[in-house]
Amino acid sequence: MKNIGKMSRVELAAFICTHLAKRGIEITLTGGSCVSIYSENQYSSMDLDFIERISAKRKFLAKCLEKIGFYEKDRYFMHPDTELFIEFPPGPLAVGDEPITDIITIETEVGDLKIISPTESVKDRLAAFYFWNDLQCLDQAVLVADNNAINVAEVKRWSLTEGEEEKFEIFLSKLKKD
Amino acid sequence: MLEVLLGSASKEKILLFIASRESGYARQISGFFNIPLTPVIKQLKKLEEGGVIYVEIQGRTKLYKFNPQYSFLKELKQLLSKVLEFYPEETLKELKFNRKRPRRSKKPL
Repeated sequence: MKNIGKMSRVELAAFICTHLAKRGIEITLTGGSCVSIYSENQYSSMDLDFIERISAKRKFLAKCLEKIGFYEKDRYFMHPDTELFIEFPPGPLAVGDEPITDIITIETEVGDLKIISPTESVKDRLAAFYFWNDLQCLDQAVLVADNNAINVAEVKRWSLTEGEEEKFEIFLSKLKKD
Repeated sequence: MLEVLLGSASKEKILLFIASRESGYARQISGFFNIPLTPVIKQLKKLEEGGVIYVEIQGRTKLYKFNPQYSFLKELKQLLSKVLEFYPEETLKELKFNRKRPRRSKKPL
């Protein structure tokens, strides 16, 4: 099997995802790493944020990850062969108060990765812009939207439900026009 | 009232305090309800780790507020608001009294 240190971000995430799925822990990649993947590393995030479908006991999770060389430090899981680290933010898998259902699978030679779709990734980043006024997250949302086919109508629908029409227009104005 | 659901009386008080005043810090919550500080700090940490609240550092104070990205925030607030209806009127008044506008220094009370 490929050494963890030689795996790309997608491969490492897929490897972890498959390893945990075999042990009954279903996880989905969300957050900044999705932006890295969907922008082909134009934005780089060091952490892999996974959300569990149903929370497993932390001890069991740690034990499973220990089998592939990850050790727990504070709230994170680190590995000696990679700078990337894993975090399990509290669930549920949602943007605002809506559950995320648009999840896709990326197949790699070391396993399958469950990841939120580019459209959900845009909403995920926009949520931080809407709720915290985080301008970096706005740029990340634009990056994903410019590099992938996204459902703008769905992003608009969700933005309006969140009462964020003005900020949605800001996002829209930043997108490449082609 | 929610202790049986939340598994902690301190957690209930913390949530009710923040629901009433929009924010709160450990010593303030512990002082208001006259409960020990340690469990309040412990429960605040748990709620923060669970994504229910977040912390804002103001000087040397850790001020806790509801996390606007928490998926069940609307429902949680509704539940807390219902619970507050059952609180004694006097406590409710004190809980909701939260002077926000500045007071001129040396102004006699």
